[in-house]
Amino acid sequence: MASVLFRGIQTRPFLLYPSALLSRKNGVLFCTTKCSQSQTATQENQQTQMKVSPRTHTKKVEKILHDYEAIIGIETHVQLDTLTKAFCSCAYLYGSQPNTNVCPICMGLPGTLPVLNSKVIEFAVKVGLALNCNLSMNSKFDRKQYFYPDLPKGYQISQFDIPIATGGFIELDLPTEYGGGHRKFGITRVHMEEDAGKLLHSGNGSYSQVDLNRAGVPLLEIVSEPDIRSGLEAAEYAAEIQRLVRYLGVSNGNMQEGSLRCDVNVSVRPIGQLEYGTKVEIKNMNSFSAMNRAIDFEISRQVDLYSKGEDNQIIQETRLWEEGAQRTVTMRKKEGLADYRYFPEPDLPEVVLSEEYVDNIRASLLELPEVKRRRYERMGLSMQDVLFLTNDMNVADFFDATIERGAEVKMAANWIMSDIAAYLNNEKLSINEIKLTPQELAELISSIKGGTISGKIGKEILFELISNGGTVKALIEEKDLVQASIPTLLIFMVNIKFIK
Amino acid sequence: MSTRVSFVMGVSSLLQRRCLWSSQWRVRNYSVRSAPLPPDLPLLAETARISLTPKEVEEFTPKIQQVINWFGQLQAVDLQSIEPALRADTEGDNLRNDVPETFENREAMLSAVPSFEEPYIKVPKVLNKE
Repeated sequence: MASVLFRGIQTRPFLLYPSALLSRKNGVLFCTTKCSQSQTATQENQQTQMKVSPRTHTKKVEKILHDYEAIIGIETHVQLDTLTKAFCSCAYLYGSQPNTNVCPICMGLPGTLPVLNSKVIEFAVKVGLALNCNLSMNSKFDRKQYFYPDLPKGYQISQFDIPIATGGFIELDLPTEYGGGHRKFGITRVHMEEDAGKLLHSGNGSYSQVDLNRAGVPLLEIVSEPDIRSGLEAAEYAAEIQRLVRYLGVSNGNMQEGSLRCDVNVSVRPIGQLEYGTKVEIKNMNSFSAMNRAIDFEISRQVDLYSKGEDNQIIQETRLWEEGAQRTVTMRKKEGLADYRYFPEPDLPEVVLSEEYVDNIRASLLELPEVKRRRYERMGLSMQDVLFLTNDMNVADFFDATIERGAEVKMAANWIMSDIAAYLNNEKLSINEIKLTPQELAELISSIKGGTISGKIGKEILFELISNGGTVKALIEEKDLVQASIPTLLIFMVNIKFIK
Repeated sequence: MSTRVSFVMGVSSLLQRRCLWSSQWRVRNYSVRSAPLPPDLPLLAETARISLTPKEVEEFTPKIQQVINWFGQLQAVDLQSIEPALRADTEGDNLRNDVPETFENREAMLSAVPSFEEPYIKVPKVLNKE
């Protein structure tokens, strides 16, 4: 098997690790909550897939693909990185002491009125445009009514029938380690809403505790079309949404913090059948790899029932993913569907967008991941390299800056993906935090290309540059590292011979 | 405040639900002409978390029916050539800049909470959402 380059900064140098399938050495590299780099779905997969024997897993998956198809849709909630909440001026700081970021509005006290944060609209439009949606130039808010301790007003302000954006799509590339492939998934809608507080269940079970810091924090709900067909595609879809919101600067997209939450709807049907099967909702997946495994499990569960003629046992319900047991289980069954009694929010005016407003935002958007990937492909980079470099926007910017200064494309990519990535992993840094500048990397590359120094020397200098900064020229002089050229060497040897 | 409001709004949303066919948000059917459905009062009270005695259910049902019928008069209006209005008002937007402000009297709010166990609001254990 060809050696596999792991995508993303979080991995060890690719040279040391052959085939992903045969040797799943568990990397000790985890994305802690402090780490701002995105850990891709594949990397998480590789860390946890030790539990499932590759051969039985592949066999099972193959059987499923042959006879049935899975229809999967994903609802993603993205917490927006605004300074204040959606409808009041409270700040939101993750990790604050409970019930300190609160005011009468977000606590739902009588007599209060919501006032919309203009940034929320801006972020919603950004996401809508990035997802190639049609924007509703006029949209409204509605009340979604239900009773729950973390919902102070007894309703959530959301958008029901006129969301701010509809009918878009997202494109992504599946990792090469899993066969690669390009995918395009439809986006049904994007709408604005507010988050609820946090409900904690006490140990002894007689009461619960509520923290309203999070109540009123703005969310964007992104609903996909049921175009997704496997756990892998679902995990990559979620990873691309995360990449997108980070590129746009609207959210940090951290699943661990709860800034990115995904609920999945899964149904299966025998290939050739026109009607959809019964769909089952799955909640409580806390990582991309958990999504992948949960969905694959659920597909197996449903197909299993179909194959035994017991598909009537698949009921429309919500199931929870149990990370420990690696299975989905029924939540306590509800009676009937929820009736949210939606009606237009009387306390908020229409959201009106002007063409000018939208055009300004469109013009301000930076190059998005999909466009960047296609551009890097045209530059001649392999898909592995493309996926690595575009995963983190800061890395892509560093790479672009380096080649702008004349560095050769493939060499720049290699340096970033191997030595620099290794350093970043070990020191748990982001590429913005090292002392190496794109200018100096370009200088280093041209020095090696021009023969001034060898590749080996280059590596030494690189380490120095990353940790302490400085310039390539200065370091070469300082350490007297100029590589002797062949003609000089020959003259030297000839001279010696004559002296002898 | 909120339970009574939600009760009344529940009634009006009954009307709305007839227009938004089976909670499928995409479809808006404005051409409904038939008489409104009789209200299911026990269900309505349940969703609004208001307890009613059987006597009250019997008493209130025709009254609520009258309210619905009163709104139902609007169905006589020909809307074929009218652009749907999203909302009743025409005031324009009311937006706030994204600038944080700390609420000064947090202590007063928290001390008004019936059951507060520092730093959390203590509530009965509720497992299922509605």
